[in-house]
Amino acid sequence: MTASVDPFDSALDLLRRLNPRDTAANIERLCALAPTLQEDLLESVDVPLATRRCRQTGRDFLCCDYNRDGDSWRSPWSNEFEPPVEDGEGVVPSERVRRMEVRANEAFDVYRELYFEGGVSSVYFWDVDDGFAGCVLLKKSVPTATAAGGMKSSGSWDSIHVFEAADRARTAHYKLTSTVILNLGGQADALGNMDLSGNMVRQVEQDMPITDDDASHVVNVGKMVEDMELKMRNLLQEVYFGKAKDVVGDLRSIAPLSETSRDRATHREMIESMGGR
Amino acid sequence: MTSKSEALASFVESAPPGELITVTADIKAITGDNPSTAEALGPAFQKYNEEQFATVKLPGASEPVIVSSHNSLGGGRYYDVESSSEFEFDHTTQKASAVQSYVLESKHADLVKSLLKSLSTHAAEHFPSSTLGVYPAQDDLGVAIVLVANKYSPNNFWNGRWRSLYVFTPASGSLTGSIKVDVHYYEDGNVRLLADKPVSSSLSADASAPEITRGVAAVERKYQEELNRAFGNLSESAFKGLRRQLPITRQKIEWEKISGYRLGQDIGGGRSR
Repeated sequence: MTASVDPFDSALDLLRRLNPRDTAANIERLCALAPTLQEDLLESVDVPLATRRCRQTGRDFLCCDYNRDGDSWRSPWSNEFEPPVEDGEGVVPSERVRRMEVRANEAFDVYRELYFEGGVSSVYFWDVDDGFAGCVLLKKSVPTATAAGGMKSSGSWDSIHVFEAADRARTAHYKLTSTVILNLGGQADALGNMDLSGNMVRQVEQDMPITDDDASHVVNVGKMVEDMELKMRNLLQEVYFGKAKDVVGDLRSIAPLSETSRDRATHREMIESMGGR
Repeated sequence: MTSKSEALASFVESAPPGELITVTADIKAITGDNPSTAEALGPAFQKYNEEQFATVKLPGASEPVIVSSHNSLGGGRYYDVESSSEFEFDHTTQKASAVQSYVLESKHADLVKSLLKSLSTHAAEHFPSSTLGVYPAQDDLGVAIVLVANKYSPNNFWNGRWRSLYVFTPASGSLTGSIKVDVHYYEDGNVRLLADKPVSSSLSADASAPEITRGVAAVERKYQEELNRAFGNLSESAFKGLRRQLPITRQKIEWEKISGYRLGQDIGGGRSR
């Protein structure tokens, strides 16, 4: 029965079900079990971003598959690899795309400060056949702090926005896939331990105007990412603090069920009597 | 690098409520449905079923019974007090067979039976659907109360489980145990709530079944209220501290003028945290 199922699809389905806190460890386990899946899994499953320090500028940057060359990662601030690539130069974007990348990094550094008030951002662009592609990465962690009611809470947010831009006459077509990994934890004597973690993925395609060549691309990508993150933040809020809480209430009712069903019956009678019967 | 059996055991252990069958199908599609996979999965299934308080309907019965380490007779057999029966449980297929009658022998047999009655009334008042078991525990020095409530809604991409375990020791009147909540939401993503809380309460020595039930009810109510509050606290503290809904100006960014924003340079962003 399972003979026709693609192992890669099954691996993705498995990772969608197992504890999202353990995704990185589970990818390692899957790669050991089925080494042929390794490349595809590393490319298509997002895990919390690692941070490195750029030696030339002293600034932190984020690491992903798109700025990696072997065991080195390219800093968006200096365009240099950390640590230096052993053989040869390492792949860097063309001059035009690098100019846009520099501009985008400056813009998203402002975006990061306005929305995250801290954290780290990195933008990487690369050349593709009919335009260019890129990813916008944002990461912020809040260390364990005592919140209301004596609860100790901690959290981390990782955004991974990957897009492709295809140049047309006076517009460009963008395809954006966004993942947010949000991990939250709470701990208190009366609460015990609570872990609320996971990731959500959304996609959007859009045509946007190009008025000022390359500067327009940065503006367009900025707007798309900003809209997407606003939507996703609202969605995460709804799922984490609305849906998850509702399911707990569906499992166990604080109010006695006989009372709530009696209330419902009374309510129904009232509505029927108002109906004039 | 972990061995194959360790990897498979960790996958099974992490399976969300109601999704063990799908997780198992995924594992078999990845590793192949072969003897070494089955060998690794067998013990993992037993551990999962006993820890998650798996429920099973005995042949011909209408109500499910619990499978746990607390009512294990060894050799894959378990017993149920309510129906006075023991049965074989296949941890791979989750099916019960070879049912025989079982006579409870315990100095707390009366307490076990009266607890089943009063606790099932309590459970019916608070759990839309739940399965309950009460068994002698700790070499007949105490009784174990096991409760599991599941709600599966795969069409809406969510599943949930509530587990309560208490051990009451008549000699001291102590009621100790744990409550665990596991919720999985997986529409366009994978979100998991895992909550657990050790509980303890002091009742009078040789407390009656209704008194123990009131103790259980009080502990559960307090915990659920605390958990509900924690959702709000996490939203207000950690979540808000990560990302604002809008910048402090309450306006979206004017990307055309982004180079005019001086914040980035002024505070040397990117270096903090």
